[in-house]
Amino acid sequence: MSKNFKDKVREQFSRTAESYVQSPGFSQGGDLEEAAKLLQPTQDDILLDVACGGGHSALFFAPMVRSVVASDLAMQMLKRAQEFISEEGGVENVTFREADAEDLPFPAGAFTLLTCRIAPHHFPDVPRALGEFHRVLRRGGRMAIIDTLLPDDPEIAEFMHAYEQMRDPTHVRSYSRESWTQMVEAADFILHDIKIIPKTHEFQEWARRTGMNRDGVQKLNKLFIEASAKIQDFFQVETFAGEVENFTDQKILIYASRPAKKPHVQPTKQQEA
Amino acid sequence: MAIDQELLEILACPRCKGPVRLVDEPEGLVCDQCRLLYPIEDGIPVMLIDEARPYDLV
Repeated sequence: MSKNFKDKVREQFSRTAESYVQSPGFSQGGDLEEAAKLLQPTQDDILLDVACGGGHSALFFAPMVRSVVASDLAMQMLKRAQEFISEEGGVENVTFREADAEDLPFPAGAFTLLTCRIAPHHFPDVPRALGEFHRVLRRGGRMAIIDTLLPDDPEIAEFMHAYEQMRDPTHVRSYSRESWTQMVEAADFILHDIKIIPKTHEFQEWARRTGMNRDGVQKLNKLFIEASAKIQDFFQVETFAGEVENFTDQKILIYASRPAKKPHVQPTKQQEA
Repeated sequence: MAIDQELLEILACPRCKGPVRLVDEPEGLVCDQCRLLYPIEDGIPVMLIDEARPYDLV
């Protein structure tokens, strides 16, 4: 079951690699700037970018750190990301590995930084992936995860889930702020900060990025047009002559770190006294 | 060979998390523990359990 799903993910992203590399939604890096402010990368850091997609995060962080390992489940995506980074020029410290986020091929404590951007909604088992992120990070290692935020309102959340699955069959699910907090803490990370970043999508480009045909895009357009006023308000849907021009969702940026030492009870000075 | 030693050190078998070593024929990364060979495609190691091939120690 899981293998079949992951084959589907690999096929989907191999087919659409080019549109992800070219996507303004991925190359525009307001969220990456925010992540960098929190992570404070240094030239001593070794960064793992999980599910690197078009390579935008890897390229963004490469000049700030000693080296970047970029992994993805789809070989064609990695090859295209490699080409993209080489075309952009200026960095030579990025290497590529085809890998599954839930079974990472790295020894424990191999990295001091980890990023994973707009990808966990494709993972069948996010807690398992977080367990792997924890394992491959050195003690004290910092992590930034960015993904689409599931709204708290059930009606809006259901609408989002419907359009995401209609647009992209490899979409598993998005998570709310509360779910992310629980999952990150359950994986024994220290959660330092969460930022919510609105992101506006040009509808046609966003819909076509996953390889949807004209009919699919029309159905998706209809779903947005016919949505309730509450939903349209939430996503700030802008239309012209019956066509959705753009809408805005929210990204969650989670900044956490692996505890510096093994957790154990240490008596405080007060308790000692 | 596109994989240098330092980067080899931060690769492990995705199944057992143990060390892997580079082999030439056929080109790939071998986990002796799992007896699996992970192929390398255009210089990119394919570190997927499902894509690994059985590797018998000689």
